[in-house]
Amino acid sequence: MVSNVTYIANIVHPVQLGVLIAIYFFYTGLSAGSFVLSSLGTVFGIQKYKPIAKAGVVMAVSLLAIAPLHLIADLEQPQRFYTLFFRLNLHSAISYGTFLLTLYPLNSLIYGWFLFRKDLAKGAKELTGFRQSLYKLLTFGKTDLSEAALAKDTKIAKFLGTLGVPLALMVHGYTGFILADIQSRALWHTGLMPLIFLMSAMVSGTGLLILVLMFSQRFLSPERSLTPERKALILDISQLMMWFIVVDATLMVIDFIMLYFTSAAGHFAAQLFLYGSHRTMFLGVEVVLGLLIPFVLMLLPRTKRSLGWISIASFLTLLGVIAMRINFVIGGQQIPLSGDTLNPYTVDPKHLIFITLFAISELTILYLAFRILPVYGLLKAKSAPDLYQKEALSK
Amino acid sequence: MAEKKKRWAMVIDLRRCVGCNACTVSCKIENNVPEGVFRSWVKEIEKGDYPEVTRFRLPRLCNHCDNAPCLAACPVQATYRTEDGAILIDYDHCIGCKYCMTACPYDARFLNPIRKTAEKCTFCYHRIQEGLLPACVTTCVGGARVFGDINDPESLVAKLVANNPVQVLKPEMNTEPYVFYIGADQNIMGARYDKLEKGEK
Repeated sequence: MVSNVTYIANIVHPVQLGVLIAIYFFYTGLSAGSFVLSSLGTVFGIQKYKPIAKAGVVMAVSLLAIAPLHLIADLEQPQRFYTLFFRLNLHSAISYGTFLLTLYPLNSLIYGWFLFRKDLAKGAKELTGFRQSLYKLLTFGKTDLSEAALAKDTKIAKFLGTLGVPLALMVHGYTGFILADIQSRALWHTGLMPLIFLMSAMVSGTGLLILVLMFSQRFLSPERSLTPERKALILDISQLMMWFIVVDATLMVIDFIMLYFTSAAGHFAAQLFLYGSHRTMFLGVEVVLGLLIPFVLMLLPRTKRSLGWISIASFLTLLGVIAMRINFVIGGQQIPLSGDTLNPYTVDPKHLIFITLFAISELTILYLAFRILPVYGLLKAKSAPDLYQKEALSK
Repeated sequence: MAEKKKRWAMVIDLRRCVGCNACTVSCKIENNVPEGVFRSWVKEIEKGDYPEVTRFRLPRLCNHCDNAPCLAACPVQATYRTEDGAILIDYDHCIGCKYCMTACPYDARFLNPIRKTAEKCTFCYHRIQEGLLPACVTTCVGGARVFGDINDPESLVAKLVANNPVQVLKPEMNTEPYVFYIGADQNIMGARYDKLEKGEK
């Protein structure tokens, strides 16, 4: 190829899908990841993960309640978003996504209700005040606590969970597919993209679940403490996270080797991320901070048993996965299709405001859900001797 | 032989293009295209070292592909194909998701900052329906742009495509474009990464 070619005139093609879309991918990833972890106990029958089933589903539902708002906020004609439901195009990935994004949270919500019903019904009987009336309302009149009714709950939850796992994988696989589907963008157009998105979803989902478990069990559970069993479970999940990181990193290595030898645009994409201006965001934040350091922390015997280090590792995976979403969504569009310079991207301040508002509402929903709902069971009622003793002492 | 359906196409004979950008301007006026965005534009490169230098121009527009990625990408059927092959956008139904703009391998689509929908070249569909030529074709001073029904063997486009070596942009994308170029230099037809790779390293 001749090298002495100079561009004299061309027009600018700015990046169109920006940070709102990247953060949306981050949320769906978190949701899918936490749902799969929730299903480990209920669907796959691994007993030790039973205690996190409810925490996982609360996260999955609340994250997917907020995620699509990012998409609507990113539309130029947000008031027309509902047409997505009936003006279908069977060739468009987004058309499928519309229904996945509706079915998956609904299924998770019903699945969650069957997990919660026992505690809600118990609470409606035993508690007093605001929680009692709320729990009573939430049972929708189904307060049967017999063995048979509870066994039926478990069975239905297992069925809905079994339905939910492929849905969760599809919801997040589809976000990767939305990019992989685009033949014009070299960085995106690979069959590995849905898998990479899925694995990074597992990594970040586990990361957030660990942080949420630590905080909610310590401050919002009836026991208000990280009991030894809970600590052991968190250590166990953090080891899962390490293996998710291994798979994610492996896929990433394969992807970049393929990219390097695929086409001129693919080669340039790999160059840009490994040597060029995106190096800090990719190698620095996404790979070293987001994958390598958490992996090492979860590998070393000294750090893998410390809750402090585990929380740092979990936080870093979240940071790394946010970086990954931004790198792939925006970086993928910056590679020129018809010019000789990177396509420019400027952040719309309005989008940043939306992201902040959505993040605040997400945290509020999570806090309220863990505070109000019986995620970790009900507070044990004080036994009669306790009360008697207290009365005697006060006399 | 049954008469074939009409299929609009454009041939751009680059041997006749002088790079005057009259097409760019007339398109803007005809279609009321806002500042900063273009339905049609002219790329220009210089190849070689002095004194052996040549300038190459490449007028650009939507390729109205037979296998259009934007048509497949649109989730609300706002992008559609007319009977005679042109790809158009229904501005009343476009939700502005911008997915089509990432799907187009040719950078043909952009966001209209005033109407807040996707937009691109329509082959001046409002004009060709009335039997007129697209604005860029009527204004082309060198007669480089030729427009017509490629399925009509008597049309100039059909003759030009039949009798000349023609190129399309990015044939490897399998989009089957209907804008054909005569005498296009390979170095101007896609993106170039050599300068970027050097600068990026």
